[in-house]
Amino acid sequence: MQKSDLAYQLERFGLVIVWVAFIALFGALRPDTFLTWSNFSTIFGSEAVLVIVTLGLMIPLTAGDFDLSIAQTLTLVSMATAILDARMDLPLALVLPLGLAIGAFIGLINGAITLYFRVHSLIVTLGVGTFLHGITLWIGNSQTISGVSPVLMEWVIIQRVMGIPVAFYYAIALAFLIWYMLSYTAFGQHLLFTGRGREVGRLTGVAVGKVRLTAFVLSGVLGAFAGILYTGTTGSANPSSGTFLLLPAFAAAFLGATCIRPGRFNPWGSVIAVYFLVTGINGLSVLGFRTFVQDLFYGGALVLAVMVSQLVSGRKERGL
Amino acid sequence: MSQAAIPRLALRGLTKTFGGVRALDCADLTVVPGEVHGLLGTNGSGKSTLIKVLSGFHAPDAGTLEIDGQPIPLPMPLGRSEAHGLAFVHQNLGLLPEATVLENLIAGDHERLNPWRINWRAEAERARKLFAEHHLELLPQQRVGELSPVKRAQLAIVRAADRVQEHRHHGAPGVLVLDEPTPFLPQEDVRELFAMIRRLTSRGVSIIFVSHDIDEVLEVTDRSTVLRDGKVIGTFETAATGRADLVQAIVGRTVAVDRRVDVLPAAEPMVQVDGLSGAILKDVALSVQPGEILGLTGLIGAGHDEVPMLIAGAHSANAGKLVLNGQTYDIAGMRPGNAIAARIAFIPADRQRAGIAPDLSLTENVTLPLLGRGLALNHRKLRGITMDLIRRFTVKAASPDQPASELSGGNQQKLVLGKWLQLQPQLVLLDEPTQGIDVGARQEIYDHLMSVCAAGGAVICATSEFEQLEIIAHRVLVFDRGRIKAELKGPDVTKSGIAKACYETVE
Repeated sequence: MQKSDLAYQLERFGLVIVWVAFIALFGALRPDTFLTWSNFSTIFGSEAVLVIVTLGLMIPLTAGDFDLSIAQTLTLVSMATAILDARMDLPLALVLPLGLAIGAFIGLINGAITLYFRVHSLIVTLGVGTFLHGITLWIGNSQTISGVSPVLMEWVIIQRVMGIPVAFYYAIALAFLIWYMLSYTAFGQHLLFTGRGREVGRLTGVAVGKVRLTAFVLSGVLGAFAGILYTGTTGSANPSSGTFLLLPAFAAAFLGATCIRPGRFNPWGSVIAVYFLVTGINGLSVLGFRTFVQDLFYGGALVLAVMVSQLVSGRKERGL
Repeated sequence: MSQAAIPRLALRGLTKTFGGVRALDCADLTVVPGEVHGLLGTNGSGKSTLIKVLSGFHAPDAGTLEIDGQPIPLPMPLGRSEAHGLAFVHQNLGLLPEATVLENLIAGDHERLNPWRINWRAEAERARKLFAEHHLELLPQQRVGELSPVKRAQLAIVRAADRVQEHRHHGAPGVLVLDEPTPFLPQEDVRELFAMIRRLTSRGVSIIFVSHDIDEVLEVTDRSTVLRDGKVIGTFETAATGRADLVQAIVGRTVAVDRRVDVLPAAEPMVQVDGLSGAILKDVALSVQPGEILGLTGLIGAGHDEVPMLIAGAHSANAGKLVLNGQTYDIAGMRPGNAIAARIAFIPADRQRAGIAPDLSLTENVTLPLLGRGLALNHRKLRGITMDLIRRFTVKAASPDQPASELSGGNQQKLVLGKWLQLQPQLVLLDEPTQGIDVGARQEIYDHLMSVCAAGGAVICATSEFEQLEIIAHRVLVFDRGRIKAELKGPDVTKSGIAKACYETVE
């Protein structure tokens, strides 16, 4: 019944071990291009956006809901930020809260429809996401908006600590906050019961409806934050920025649930999973593989992750 | 009733044991062509085991089956019963509400239908003819969800009858097993259903009619077989047998169990419920005094199990008022959170879904109601609380961190009980608290309920296990179609007394 300690620790850190093995492999093959601090600091900085999207996705997933609209929330807020800042010249102190408020509002809409009409969140957020993409194309006239204030770029990608852009530290700080919320607050337990034992939670006085709504709002806000960082990272907003982030984020969230705290969506697992995935892709492209490896890698990882987690839970059932 | 020499269906010496308990003990059942044969017995008498042997769900330990004189090998392979002329209509009817009458009618009729092309027009025509033959007002294109309950039952029965007739190679009509088809039907609809049953038997179809309702059995059956504790008590010509004899055969003279409670001295009630109405319950009033265990029981569909759910706010009530220790609450507006704040604990029947979260750890399951709104959970403290609770409620567990799914049913239930009793509730509501639980754990659960009483709390326990009530209930209310029909107190609270009250009708 009780797994041996070593086996459990191997399971917890399996992904980290594979990650290190990847780095060693690519490093041995291309020591001068792959295994450089500038390569890694670029990866750490530029993929902070993906980390935050994954963290945002994880919150409704923990409560048993999908938020497929998060990537389009990112795109819309990225676009809105760029327009408000570059075209309308509003001060950042106004633009940034406005961007986050858009994200919160989208979360509220997702949650309200899902809860009030009792529709599966998968369908609701799929529709809302496409709708948001429509708005993005509309307000941005289907074009890339550039000329974003350098102050924003300064505080996202240009400032570095230990060579790594500050965006990375934002992502880590968020991971820490979410880890604390899930592990050390009553709300974290309420999220968990809403996802994994909803009726038990309800009968124990957990307001499962409010919890689900809050989870959607949080993922909306995190998607919006990721959108602001995206604009800051590239200095511009383009109408397809988020489109290619949704699947990697799902892959990372599910892959992350196989490590650190196996069987649960967890922030540190998600962070590790994101960097594992992008290291793999970066390494393969350094080796000369073309862009199709991205799709192979992300798609494969998502399917593999859910297979592994199913195996893990299946083994527990058999281990009675 | 025809007196054919060869019975349509003959089961002989049927025996089935589950983990040392004899569910069926050398049971015989003979059904002749064109008769309605009642199958009677309390919960656990072996009725459903017998039916499940026929449908192929259980493999018997011993016993033979003959249909029209032909030996049929047992166990029956699942899905083969129709080919032998046996069809089943269970209480849930097995209809898909979103689909049409026609779609439901032909669903699963693999032998007749061409799987590559369904001729819908021909099928609709065939369905119309079938409905006309049976005098049913059903339209092929209607959605089943829009049908009245009795029409749904008719559709399920006609489907079964059609299947049986269609697939008998030698053309003899078969046997329909109707398993509790009536508990949710109003009286006049039951009549309509019985007329249909009669029309079927006049065509030679035999019917096994499983029911709790003695009146219905007296009305519709030709003969009935009574089961008790897995044994056949007898087969009776229903018309020549009185209600009292049937009840006596069903209930029997049970061995007295150790009753653990006495009559309580009269006291002011601590719990007073008035005008409670829900999906089944209609304007129910009841009261419980401090230190009392009130048992609620009834047959399927009686509504006794709705009482704890409504008071706890698990389902919403249409109306109802609760006075608990002088505080008044509106039950219609009750949510689980309000109930907990009023120090009411509810232990639900569906342990796997509503009692525990199987994936989550024992600590997480136990401490959820303690968390409140505080930041910074102290995991060491929560673990300590859980370990203490595991010890006090003698839960056999390896660690407070293991998932609750790893515990046995009895230990899970003790954990749930512990989770709620640690809140020191003044009113404890239980719904089937010992379902699927071994004898040892049962006794421990009774012990904990006794200590709630000793501390001056009140307990309401809804169950269909009469023996359990004889052991622990000070007083029992018997429900029938959403109303209280009898009250038993003190020495009258016996297994057979409760069964009698359940099966007898109020005049």
